[in-house]
Amino acid sequence: MSRLEEILSKKKLEIDELQVPEELDARLNKALENKTKGRKSKSGFRMKVAVLLIAFVLVTYNIDTLAFYGKELLGFENIMNGTLRDLNKMGMGQTIDKSFEFSNGVKVTLNGVMADDNQLIAFYTIHNPNGSVDDIHFLSNHMKGAIGLHDPEGGSGELNDDKSTIRWVEEYEPPYAFEKKLIWRFSLLSGSKSEEGEISFVLDRDKAMGHTLKARINKAIEVDGSNVKFDTITASPTTTVVKGTIKNIVELAADQIGGERLYSPNIGIRLLADGKEIAVQGTGVSTDMNGMKFDLRYDALPKDTEKLQLNLTSFAAEHQTDQLVELAGTEAGKHIQIQGQDITIERVDEIKGETFVTITTRDTVVLSKVYLLADNNKVELEETIDNKFEKKIDGTITHTRTLRFKTAAKELKLDIRRIRYEKAYDEYIDIPIE
Amino acid sequence: METEVLVRKAKQGDKEALVQLIMAQKQDYYKLAYVYMKNPEDAMDVMEDMIVLLYENIGRLKNESSFYSWSKTILVNCCKNSLKKRSRVVLLDTLREEAGDDPVGRKDEELLLEKHLERLNIKHQEAIRLRYFMDMDYQSIAELLKVPVGTVKSRISIGLSKLKAVLGGEEQ
Repeated sequence: MSRLEEILSKKKLEIDELQVPEELDARLNKALENKTKGRKSKSGFRMKVAVLLIAFVLVTYNIDTLAFYGKELLGFENIMNGTLRDLNKMGMGQTIDKSFEFSNGVKVTLNGVMADDNQLIAFYTIHNPNGSVDDIHFLSNHMKGAIGLHDPEGGSGELNDDKSTIRWVEEYEPPYAFEKKLIWRFSLLSGSKSEEGEISFVLDRDKAMGHTLKARINKAIEVDGSNVKFDTITASPTTTVVKGTIKNIVELAADQIGGERLYSPNIGIRLLADGKEIAVQGTGVSTDMNGMKFDLRYDALPKDTEKLQLNLTSFAAEHQTDQLVELAGTEAGKHIQIQGQDITIERVDEIKGETFVTITTRDTVVLSKVYLLADNNKVELEETIDNKFEKKIDGTITHTRTLRFKTAAKELKLDIRRIRYEKAYDEYIDIPIE
Repeated sequence: METEVLVRKAKQGDKEALVQLIMAQKQDYYKLAYVYMKNPEDAMDVMEDMIVLLYENIGRLKNESSFYSWSKTILVNCCKNSLKKRSRVVLLDTLREEAGDDPVGRKDEELLLEKHLERLNIKHQEAIRLRYFMDMDYQSIAELLKVPVGTVKSRISIGLSKLKAVLGGEEQ
C-alpha cells in the first residue's frame, strides 16, 4: 500500500465511525414543515381530511340511484365549481361507468370523464360495503396513456351520510392529443400492503373540448432581482392556465444554479378579462436543476372576451443573505437594513440562561433561517413568541416578536442566513387575442 | 415493496413518509453529505436542502424503486451547489476561526491531505472521496454522478497522481 493510500484509508476509518446526529430527524421534519406542494398535495391522506371537513354538506342522492340523466352526471354538483357545473349541465362530459372491485369488497367506479387541452377530469365513486370509507386508504396513481403517465393535480370529494361512499372530482394532467386509450391506475393501502387496481377506457375525442385560446405570451417582468417570464396561456372550457418560469438574474448571468438562490417564491398575479378579475383556482411551483417553473390556474374565460391582461401585484421570496448582526450595545434598540428591508432590534434580554431577541419588521418580512452565534457557537432558534401586529397610519402593518434561544453568552451575534419578504407591484402585461 | 409504498405516499404529499424513507438509510445519506461538506452542521444543512427538493420534485420520479439512487444524486448536487456558493463567499476570518477550532491531536498528514484534496478540481476530488472515503465501486460512483464508468476511472487516476505529486512525491 502506498503512503497515499494509507492516508486515504485512515480517513475512511474516520468516515466509517461517523455517528448520525440525533437531531437529524427533527431537522428534516422542520425543513418540510412550511412546505406546501400547491395543488399537487391535495391528495392522499390530507385530501381525506379535507373531505371530512366539507362532508357537512348532506348528500341527498342515494348511491344506488346514481345515474346519468341524458349526458349529465348526477351527484357531483356539490364538488364541482360553477364552470364545471355549467359544462356538465350542457352534457359536455363522457360517460364511462366502469367498476373495479378489490379483494376486500371495496368498489371503485369511474362514472365519467371530461377532457380539454388543460386537464382531464375524472368523476369517480368509492364504496366500502364493510364500513366507512375513512377506514380505507385509497390512492389514485395516474392515468396511463400510450406514452405518458398523467398525474393527478388536485381535486375534492364528498362523503355520503353513512360514510360508506365518497364521490370525487379529480383533475389530471391532460393526455396527449393522440392518446385515446387510457388506463386509470389506483391502489388500496392497508398497513404496508397495497393492492393495485385499474380501469381502462377509451377517450372520446369528439367529446373533448379542446381550447378556446392558446397563445404564446413570451413577455417578462423584472422583479426584485428575479426575472418572471410568462410563456403561454391556454384557455379551455374548464380552466385557464398561464405557464411561466422564474429565473434569478444572478443565475441568468452565470448560467448556472447556485449563487444567490431564490427559495419558494410566491407571486400575486391577477388575470383580467375586459378589466374584470377571473377567479384564481390554484398555483403550482416546481423547482428543478434548470430553474423554477410556475403555473397559474384561473377559472374559464367568459365568452367573447376582448381584452386580456395579467397584473402582477406582489412578489414574495426567500433570499440567501448570510448577514451577521452584532447584538452588543443594542439595549437602546438598533436599526438595520437587509436587502432593503428594515429590521429593528428592540431589545436583547438574558433570562435564566436563555437569550431573548425582540425584533420588529414589516408583517411581510420573515427571517426564515436564523441562528444565534453565542461566543461563536451556532445555536438554533428555539421558538418565536409574543407576536404583536400593529397597523400604522400609512396602512403598513408591523410585526414585533421575540426570538428565543436556549443559550446565553457575552458575545452575541444574530446570524441571518435567509430572509423572506414581499414587495408590492402594479405591473401589467397585455395578452394578444386573435 | 415497503419502499415503494412509502414513495407512493410521499408522492401524494405525505411528508412523514418522505422523512421515513431518508431515515431508513440515514447513515448512507449522512456519510455522503459529510464526505462533501466535511462537518456535521453543513452536512445536515445540505440534507435539509435535499429533502425540500425531493418533496417538491418527487412527482417527477417515474420509477418508484429508483428513489434511493435518484435522491442521492440530488444530495450530491445539493452539496456541490452549497460548496460552490461557499467558495464564493468564504471570508478570511471565518477561515481563521475554523483553523483555530481544529483539534490539536489531528495528524498533520490528514490535514495536509484535506488541504491538497481541496485544491483539486471538484470532479477529481469527489471521485476520490467517493472511492476511498465511502468505499464505493466505480459502477456505483458512475451511477451516482451520472457519468460513464470510464470517466470515473480516469478522474480517480488523475486525482491520485496529482495528490501523489504533492504528498507522496518521493515514491514516484
